[in-house]
Amino acid sequence: MNQRIRRLALALLVLYAVLFVQLNFIQVGRKASLDADVRNTRQTVRDFDEPRGPILTADGVVIAESRRTEPGSTYSWQRVYPEGELFAHLTGYFTLAYGATQVERVMNDVLSGNTAEQQLSGVWSVFDTDDNSGSVTLTLDANVQQAAKDALGEREGSVVVLDVQTGAVKAMWSWPSFDPNTIADHDSAEAGVWLQFLDLLPSKPLLANAYQERYMPGSTFKVITTAAALEAGVVSLDTVFAEESQYLPPQTDDPIENYNGRSCGGDLTEVFRRSCNTPFARLSIDLGPSNMVEAATRFGIGEDVPFDLPSPAASAFGDVDYFVDNLPLLAIGGFGQGNTQMVPLHMAAIAAAIANRGTMMTPFAIDLTRDHDGKVLDRTEPTMWRQVMSPGVASTMVDLMKVVASSGTASCCLKLADGVVAAAKTGTAQLNGPGEPERSHAWMIGFAPADTPRYAFAVVLKGTNAEISAGTGGTLAGPVASKVMNAALRDR
Amino acid sequence: MAGLVTAGAYTLASLGQNAVIPSRILPFLGLMLLLLVSAHVAVRWLASGADSTLLPVAALLNGLGYVMIARLSERLAGLQTTWTFIGIAVFIAVLVFVERINDLSRYTWHFFAAGAGLLLLPLIPGLGFSSGGARIWVNIGPINFQPGEFAKLALALFFAGYLAERGRLISTSTRRLGPFTIPESRDLLPLVAAWGFSVVIMVGQKDLGSSLLFFTLFVVMVWVATEKTSYLVIGLGLFVVACVVAYNLFDHVQTRVAVWLDPWSRYDGKGYQIAQAMFALGNGGVTGTGLGRGLPQRIPEAKNDFIFAAIGEEMGLLGATIVLLSFMVIIGAGLRIALRTQRPFEKLLATGLTTIIGVQAFIIIGGVIRVVPLTGITLPFVSYGGSSLVANYALLALLIRLSDVSARRLGEVPDTPMLSERWAARRARKRTDDVTTEVSDI
Repeated sequence: MNQRIRRLALALLVLYAVLFVQLNFIQVGRKASLDADVRNTRQTVRDFDEPRGPILTADGVVIAESRRTEPGSTYSWQRVYPEGELFAHLTGYFTLAYGATQVERVMNDVLSGNTAEQQLSGVWSVFDTDDNSGSVTLTLDANVQQAAKDALGEREGSVVVLDVQTGAVKAMWSWPSFDPNTIADHDSAEAGVWLQFLDLLPSKPLLANAYQERYMPGSTFKVITTAAALEAGVVSLDTVFAEESQYLPPQTDDPIENYNGRSCGGDLTEVFRRSCNTPFARLSIDLGPSNMVEAATRFGIGEDVPFDLPSPAASAFGDVDYFVDNLPLLAIGGFGQGNTQMVPLHMAAIAAAIANRGTMMTPFAIDLTRDHDGKVLDRTEPTMWRQVMSPGVASTMVDLMKVVASSGTASCCLKLADGVVAAAKTGTAQLNGPGEPERSHAWMIGFAPADTPRYAFAVVLKGTNAEISAGTGGTLAGPVASKVMNAALRDR
Repeated sequence: MAGLVTAGAYTLASLGQNAVIPSRILPFLGLMLLLLVSAHVAVRWLASGADSTLLPVAALLNGLGYVMIARLSERLAGLQTTWTFIGIAVFIAVLVFVERINDLSRYTWHFFAAGAGLLLLPLIPGLGFSSGGARIWVNIGPINFQPGEFAKLALALFFAGYLAERGRLISTSTRRLGPFTIPESRDLLPLVAAWGFSVVIMVGQKDLGSSLLFFTLFVVMVWVATEKTSYLVIGLGLFVVACVVAYNLFDHVQTRVAVWLDPWSRYDGKGYQIAQAMFALGNGGVTGTGLGRGLPQRIPEAKNDFIFAAIGEEMGLLGATIVLLSFMVIIGAGLRIALRTQRPFEKLLATGLTTIIGVQAFIIIGGVIRVVPLTGITLPFVSYGGSSLVANYALLALLIRLSDVSARRLGEVPDTPMLSERWAARRARKRTDDVTTEVSDI
């Protein structure tokens, strides 16, 4: 019998050797292809269902955090956005099925604790906790953001408030927005239906319109034309423009008219204050295609707004070759009509540059990141985006915009608390393309206090011609700007 | 040895602590440790000459499985603690009551009756019921159990007794067919009966795993007992016939084979479990994801038949290899016991019991990692399940008793009196004392 028992031992040994070989084959040999199988969601689920740090505003309001789910749930953590739609365009959402957007996406490594620095410090704390997730603090102020939301109400549009010296975003709100909690729901099917619904809405609530969309700027663009003309020396405060109701640019029989066909003229301060169109059409033609395009480029038009959130849009003006053959478009481009399109965040940055002696700072929304112990990992240092004009020209522009706010097109509606003096420029743009619904954009950009500027703003409202042509941009955008700036200036 | 058990359990406990397993399971772990230590003490006291590797290795498997079950479900961990308690109690009880293992050979036909009865129990209407496609459960009052787990023990005892008695007889056949000696038809009968049993289990209960296990057990024991290769060949032939017939007759057998060959194209159906096990094992890699950090709950029946895949995911190739090695150590120790003892009954019993554990583990691990088609069966000591755990601890106790008996016989340890002998001696002493007293009174 013993011989048979030994043979049995050998046979079993062989069987187990086969098991061991197959085990190696699966766990080592085929690991890569198994992990890469599209049906294998283990890695993604594992990365997804980890503790994840919060996102906070500058004043400490939690706008995204992960909470433990009820025991027995499929996932251990649920991402929650306590402020709902208020910061949706900043935080974005974090989901398993539909990925992550905005801060949740760009700061994923910090939030999940996967940066090299966090991993390194995590090695030492392996015995006390598994959680080395980090937190992200934004530059935004929850009160100012709330004021922007309240002021805009249920009107399509965007509000941006920037710190003029650093480029830090104090508020950035667009309506319509969406509630990221509905997307972050673990019920992927339901979240998917929501996402699809939001995506199909023509008002694009998923898009952060404040920096991912561009609008025809209307008369706010005169700030750029004027600064370029002052810089080039083709105009000064002493230049007087003739009273005229229309101006016929080269290459066309179709004259350019002032608002409501009124006669408009006077010195630079006067035409800027009243926002005449013909003088700026003339300035644009006087500067010529190459100077105007060069000025636009100097202001950062044509490049993606350098922002620390994903997919910023680029403002657009046009190129030299195009304008050489289409001088009338260059003329109307001088006051922000035609093909000119501006990103709201970019307009706010331009207002801030005027307030900041011509230095346009790079806008940013992420202030700093911390590790799990609260130690600061990284802090955003303010950087210059572009020097858009000389300090001298900037100072002249401040004076011009002060007049607009005190006695010009913005005086009706931009009223700040405590007698703070503001500087501003209004704009109204009408898009009446053949076969398209009539659309209008009402604008106001500016900053306050005018003499010691702290915050710059851009407000844009979308509407129909009936709503917006009734007045200039000031009547609609002014009250919104007033409320937001009051909140920003009150906030210390 | 106790140190090994303690170290093993402690390592598992600390592994559990570092993962996200709630602290509530620590008392359970403490209890587990206490149980295993008491089992160890029982072995030292009741079977001092026993092989010293069996219990610690079984305890390691039990502990690994326990940690994995606790990680999958706290509720089941609590139940598994209870089952471990009962298992250890049965383990100690077997050591206490089975002192001279050869005595068991007297009850050969009792074991046959018990084994056959247990096997057929689930087929009785009103008593047996199906779960997970196999009709292997019995419900008596509040208790559900799988009689098959105990039947395999009874049948191993029966086979050992029967073959120890008749093995020589069967092998001395004179009928020849070509180069092979063909057994007398009378002696062939038990073989055919065993084969018939396997078929009944396979058809009636749809339990392919157990069917395969019983058949392998019997063929191996007959082969070892008779030393005739022809039995192995005949057994294999019968096995092939049964397989071909089953494949052609039963859909679920065809499905099993198809899923074994290609789980990927059946991912959304029957192949899902195997595919998830593959993903789990791949995800584990060499070192594993770490306890509590994998997703073994995605594998259907991860606590049960597929616990090996769960271990492979969270403890990696290393953990899975430890499981394989543990079973190899048990097989090695079990067959060493078979080799050491001189008595045929003990030899055959040790071989049979070892074969049960070794083959059962192979069938299910091989099924999970696609070496053979999957046939649902528990992984001894590791899987969740009361019947399996209790039966395997009883089996382990028998192996340990066998090893102790032969050690005494070989004089490696002093043949100290057994517990019952000590009792008998004490009673006898007492009686004598009483008599003496009476005498002095007179």
